[in-house]
Amino acid sequence: MKKRISLLLVAVMLLGLAACGAAKPAETQAPAPTAAPTEAPTEAPTEAALVVDTCILKEADDKMLNTYTLLAVNPDAPFTDADGNPVSDVAVNTAGADALIHWLLTREALDMAGDYGVAEYGEHLFYVKDDAPVYTGDIAPATEETKVIRLSTTTSVNDSGLLGYLLPVFESTYGYTVEVQSAGTGKAINAAKFGNADLILVHSKSQEEAFVEEGFARTVDGFESERISFIYNYFVLCGPSADPAGVKDCASVLDAFAAIADGKYTFVSRGDASGTHTKELSLWPESLGITKEAESFANYTDWYVSANAGMGACLVMAEEMGAYILTDKATFLTFVANDGVME
Amino acid sequence: MSSALHKAIALILSADAELLNILSVTARMSLQSSLIALLLGVPIGIWLGACRFPGRGALVVVNRTLMGMPPVVCGLLFYMLFSGVGPFRHMKLLFTVKIMVMAQVVLITPIVVGNMETYVAGIAPNLRETAKGLGLGGFKTFALLCNECLYPIISAYLLAFGRSIAEVGAVSMVGGAIAWKTNVMTTAIMQYTNRGNFSLGIALGMILLALSLMVNIVISGLQRRLSR
Amino acid sequence: MNIQAFSKTYDGVTVLSFPGMDLQPGKIYAVIGANGSGKSTFAKILAGVLPADRAGKLRDDAAVGYLPQKPYAFRMSTGQNLLLNGKDAARAAELMDALQIRHLEHKRADRLSGGETARMALARLMMKRYDVVILDEPTAAMDMETTAAAETLLLRYTRQTGCALILVTHSLQQARRVADEVLFFHKGRLMEFGAREQVLFAPTRPETRKFLEFYGK
Repeated sequence: MKKRISLLLVAVMLLGLAACGAAKPAETQAPAPTAAPTEAPTEAPTEAALVVDTCILKEADDKMLNTYTLLAVNPDAPFTDADGNPVSDVAVNTAGADALIHWLLTREALDMAGDYGVAEYGEHLFYVKDDAPVYTGDIAPATEETKVIRLSTTTSVNDSGLLGYLLPVFESTYGYTVEVQSAGTGKAINAAKFGNADLILVHSKSQEEAFVEEGFARTVDGFESERISFIYNYFVLCGPSADPAGVKDCASVLDAFAAIADGKYTFVSRGDASGTHTKELSLWPESLGITKEAESFANYTDWYVSANAGMGACLVMAEEMGAYILTDKATFLTFVANDGVME
Repeated sequence: MSSALHKAIALILSADAELLNILSVTARMSLQSSLIALLLGVPIGIWLGACRFPGRGALVVVNRTLMGMPPVVCGLLFYMLFSGVGPFRHMKLLFTVKIMVMAQVVLITPIVVGNMETYVAGIAPNLRETAKGLGLGGFKTFALLCNECLYPIISAYLLAFGRSIAEVGAVSMVGGAIAWKTNVMTTAIMQYTNRGNFSLGIALGMILLALSLMVNIVISGLQRRLSR
Repeated sequence: MNIQAFSKTYDGVTVLSFPGMDLQPGKIYAVIGANGSGKSTFAKILAGVLPADRAGKLRDDAAVGYLPQKPYAFRMSTGQNLLLNGKDAARAAELMDALQIRHLEHKRADRLSGGETARMALARLMMKRYDVVILDEPTAAMDMETTAAAETLLLRYTRQTGCALILVTHSLQQARRVADEVLFFHKGRLMEFGAREQVLFAPTRPETRKFLEFYGK
């Protein structure tokens, strides 16, 4: 009897889920045909807005530069355990990290990164920095001890598909296995501090500099600085196509953020100490005093939404709420290209 | 934009290599952790339920507390212990299926113990009186008690397996959801959700439930067969 | 055979005190009394499943058989349940016939009804010979016809095996039908003990008279 009930329950849940799944697209599809004709003549948004209303309102501002940096983890860094006691013999695969960094900075890999997504999205998702160091030396092939490389990285490079595009080439040529863990920049850096990464690929200058300052990074042979910045793209300020805050007409992105705050227009923040979150925090008017601490925006909860979620989840949220949001361009383009879902 | 159900079916039909890898890691992890938890939990549960000894009550309370341990806390504990700076760092177990199994065993064993303990404590006094009344020896009584436990063991296994396959907090923490290595159904669903791809998440969820349904059907069939 | 004096105390309250007695082989002792008078506690202590305050058991080397009020039906067939307590298949068949459960031989014992379970458990106990047999209300769940069959079997078993049979019962009629000696418990004390005729028909204590008047109708 009991097992029959449990079976029935599972079946009902399955049906329920199927129903949800079936109902979902209907909901989102329904408004599209009716909304399109009325909106199209007035706002003339990009074609993608037929399904996704959120669009890029402010970009290519110098303040919005989003630079990605590689840092190799220093095996002799001042690691400490959970109680703060020093730990000396932390295993870090330095040879593997060197090989991956070397390869990522070959002309071949840099070109691949620069061209990634152009065919699919008609736009560059990433640009190679003009002053990116180019590596021309030998790359050590994998050995039994060095073949597993732990790369801790930010969600944007992983979710945009860049790593999935680059790494298989490296892995098959040199025999390494790259284990990618993707989380916000803050978490990625913490994983390295806990001795769980051989190198990190992140995009938050201030957090990177602190990481170097504390002695967790090392200089890879043939490079000058611990911080190897090699690709970049732009953060973009997105929002509803109607743009109630009028950020499109603002002179700079700082003015745009001030306009959003003045009008108390809903803004979705990552709120997860990621690179995007760090960048966003630097763009608010200083008088607001918004920091990563929850108390700092306690008075703004009527419009400031701290989501503590990945970029894709935040974009979905912003779309649903008709909110403004700061995002890296690569993730936004993939979001739009997939009609508001991230593949 | 197809419905999640269509997506789920298309996903299965496409036999996508990554999906197959996720399924095989999920199966390996859940089967191992649920079986180990069963092997550990059943004897402990029978012992706790059948024997009266000082400290038994305290052990039962401890076990019931462990039954309510949040998976994230368990994951965090293992993360700290096996992290690159943790005391067991030389075992190099973080981000492997092994440590995911270990964390799950810690989570699931108390549930098996608790279920067996409750059942055995319910039947043991009566059974023991009857066996003693017949003049049966201790060993024979114990064998008879174990024979009574067949059904509860099967239900305890189903519970353990269900918990193992559905659990996300601990495995995402210690497994790291690394593609091709430690990514299981639940962590993949988390990832898709975090990327905003809800419908693919639901599609994976339906596959997970379908798997669970199949396991339930097989084991219920076994149970029916045993009960004749 | 001799039962030593004993008492049983819970939280400082004496729930049962027993002065001790001799048991004659081949005799049936009916234990009667109201609910809560200590009948079952008495049976459990004699059977050794409940410890008394002071050692008050039967002789250590005596073989004691005990049928609890709610006997356990093991998860196997009725026939196999009987064979748990002895290897003699012919004896098992005879007992099942006597208690009218032969048709249930291959049925799973844990799926029997209350009355069927009671008969199975009685047959199972009688697979073996004991010096002392203690039955705690063995026929409470049986109907009149099967109760009669069980009583016939009880009498035969006692005479044949020469055991001393202690029968806890709430039925005065049953005591009248099968008992040689009767023990009357009242509020945890043995009030009256003697031959059936004496206790049931000419009681000396007012408590016994009151009980008989009340339950005898």
